[in-house]
Amino acid sequence: MAKGSKRSLVLQRRETGVSYLFLLPALIFFLGFVIYPMLMGIITSFTDASFANQSNGKFIAFDNYIRLFNDPVFKKSAVNTVIIVVAAVPTVTAFSLWVGSAIYKMKAWTRSFFRCVFYLPVVTGSVAVVVVWKWMFDKYNGLFNYVIKAFGGKPLPWTESATMAIWCIIIILFTTSIGQPIVLYVAALGNVDNSLVEAAQVDGATNLQTFWKIKWPSIMPTTLYVVIITTINSFQCFALIQLLTRGGPLYSTSTVMYLLYETAFITSKDFGYADAMGVVLAIVIAIFSAIQFKVMNGGTTE
Amino acid sequence: MNLKKTLAFALSLSMAVSMAGCGGTGSAPSTAPSTAPDSQPSAPAVSDSGGGATGEQVTIKWWAFPTFGVDSGYEEEVIAAFEKANPDVKVELTTIDFTSGPEQLTSAITAGTAPDILFDAPGRIIEYGNAGNLVALDDMFDSAYLADVTNQGVLEACKGAGGTYYMYPISSSPFYMGLNKEALVSSGAIEFVNLEGDRTWTTEDFQNMCAKLAENGATAVPGIVYCGGQGGDQGTRALVNNLYSSTIVGSDGKWNIDANGVKALQLLADMYSKGHLDAGFSMAAADELQQFQQETAAMTFCWGTSNEVSYATEDFTQEAVPFPSDDGVPELEYLVNGFCVFDNKDAARADAAKRFLKFICDDSEWGPQSVIKTNAFPVRDSFGDLYPGDEHKALLASWTQYYGPYYNTKDGFATMRPLWFNMLQNVFNGNDVQAEADNFNTQANA
Repeated sequence: MAKGSKRSLVLQRRETGVSYLFLLPALIFFLGFVIYPMLMGIITSFTDASFANQSNGKFIAFDNYIRLFNDPVFKKSAVNTVIIVVAAVPTVTAFSLWVGSAIYKMKAWTRSFFRCVFYLPVVTGSVAVVVVWKWMFDKYNGLFNYVIKAFGGKPLPWTESATMAIWCIIIILFTTSIGQPIVLYVAALGNVDNSLVEAAQVDGATNLQTFWKIKWPSIMPTTLYVVIITTINSFQCFALIQLLTRGGPLYSTSTVMYLLYETAFITSKDFGYADAMGVVLAIVIAIFSAIQFKVMNGGTTE
Repeated sequence: MNLKKTLAFALSLSMAVSMAGCGGTGSAPSTAPSTAPDSQPSAPAVSDSGGGATGEQVTIKWWAFPTFGVDSGYEEEVIAAFEKANPDVKVELTTIDFTSGPEQLTSAITAGTAPDILFDAPGRIIEYGNAGNLVALDDMFDSAYLADVTNQGVLEACKGAGGTYYMYPISSSPFYMGLNKEALVSSGAIEFVNLEGDRTWTTEDFQNMCAKLAENGATAVPGIVYCGGQGGDQGTRALVNNLYSSTIVGSDGKWNIDANGVKALQLLADMYSKGHLDAGFSMAAADELQQFQQETAAMTFCWGTSNEVSYATEDFTQEAVPFPSDDGVPELEYLVNGFCVFDNKDAARADAAKRFLKFICDDSEWGPQSVIKTNAFPVRDSFGDLYPGDEHKALLASWTQYYGPYYNTKDGFATMRPLWFNMLQNVFNGNDVQAEADNFNTQANA
């Protein structure tokens, strides 16, 4: 018995060792390309490092952070970021759930068709997607203004307007964000225990009651994942802003992520300041994620 | 379960932090090998590694913006010719574009993986030189060369702090305006444009031309003052500076929009409110050029020898004119094409890179060909007229007399550029012009 137990322990250790070996490549990648740059970003945010003094960045404590909160452009960018997140996350989640609910019971080929249609913008390159949208929003020759003019309306400035541009960004972000949540919801809804649904229906539950009391708790982990991923993607919305508006007009579409890039690579090339923006953005995302975990975990079935 | 939750949360947190920081971490300079020596780098005298001196082959990396044209194949041709004449050197070419190239360069320089040679313009090159990333090229500007380059403005544009030469120039050409001749004719605005002689014209003519174009609607808009980004922003600065003969740099050497500049900005704001011009709030020069090519706008403020090729069309006649000015004497901005050598702490590579530059720019066969491929004019007088019989090129060459001061290498140029286009956005948004100019002057010199 003791011999068997010892052998089991050796086997267990060997298996553990092997599993660590399998983990090693991913771990090296994670440490080298995620943790190390993250730490360097945090360290650099406390220095005055810039392109002009690459080797001479000196420690300046919290100066970059103090500067951030006195910078009107950063404040404007932070507000824009929050607007994008607040507008995009609920709409993406709700719309995905609605579409998922509508199609998950359909025949296999119909379901596949809709999944494919909604997933198409996800697999299409973001540059190609934005170029097409840019043409549609073009105030001179764009599709939308062509239609408006065809109906006798006055063309709209779309991305050229400080009030409309951010909504153009949100629309594109919405269309490119719904694909994955829809696929996830279709899968999650398909996995809900049908016997519970049937039992509730036999007991006279309405469709709404069935959804809220049985399906919603069952798909809560999926919803949590969708909300967190959409929040992070919305906070980090960058490529479409760079390609569509470059943060303008009048900083109306500048987000923290875009301002970070602009500061580091285009304008002042002030790396320390840009990294301070990155750290603040990371902290805000972490806080949002924590709140979402806390709030939504209350409804998770275990 | 608590452990699982904690682990899941920690993983989510680390992903969020790393993704948020990615924009900045890639540029963390303290992680990169230092490429900024304390003192000015000097030309390598002796090879300290393998290469020409020891008979080993040296490999050098050349990053090229499409100044020789997009996919023209010229770079490969000149490399093949150079390698044949210099079998000890191998040149690896990487083509970059003007959209993502500057960012790639910044990343490469800070990461210590800069190329050996870059083909660019003085704005970026001098910035790199002053930051200590380039090899000084003073030894290439010998007395014979200096005697051959008579345009002192070009030579000054190649110098960084302390008068060190960081760029080896090959060609130069002015920036000017482009007009759609058929649109002008059909709207009757052609009467205000001078297409004779050196084509100089006045601010009043320009106002009348725009008003006529707007009145008769030959194109969707007469012209677009793009202000959505810094790409091609020299065009809008040239427009503002010429309208009432102002300069962006004051006599004290500071960035300055003076009273005449304010007057010009006010004029453009008024023309915008009347519909005689449009403002491109999210457009850079490339967007405006596309609208010109597509006949949405009847003019472009970013015309030049390179864009004439890139945005050519057979749908209408593209006429080149200098910028209009109140006294009819323009002061034009100009492009200088040239090369720099990065200081990669390898004398053999730096030496090979310099030999390659001399070959591209000065070889009796390849030098003139290289200039022609840039569609510009040689900086060396000894190359003579490379476009004999070409009236258009002769017209452009005649505008070199109108070259204004070159300010792209002045300290704070990179900081000034975003302030410029944001200032324009505010002016077209109806803000007080004087206040915006004052704000620009304060911030650009901060």
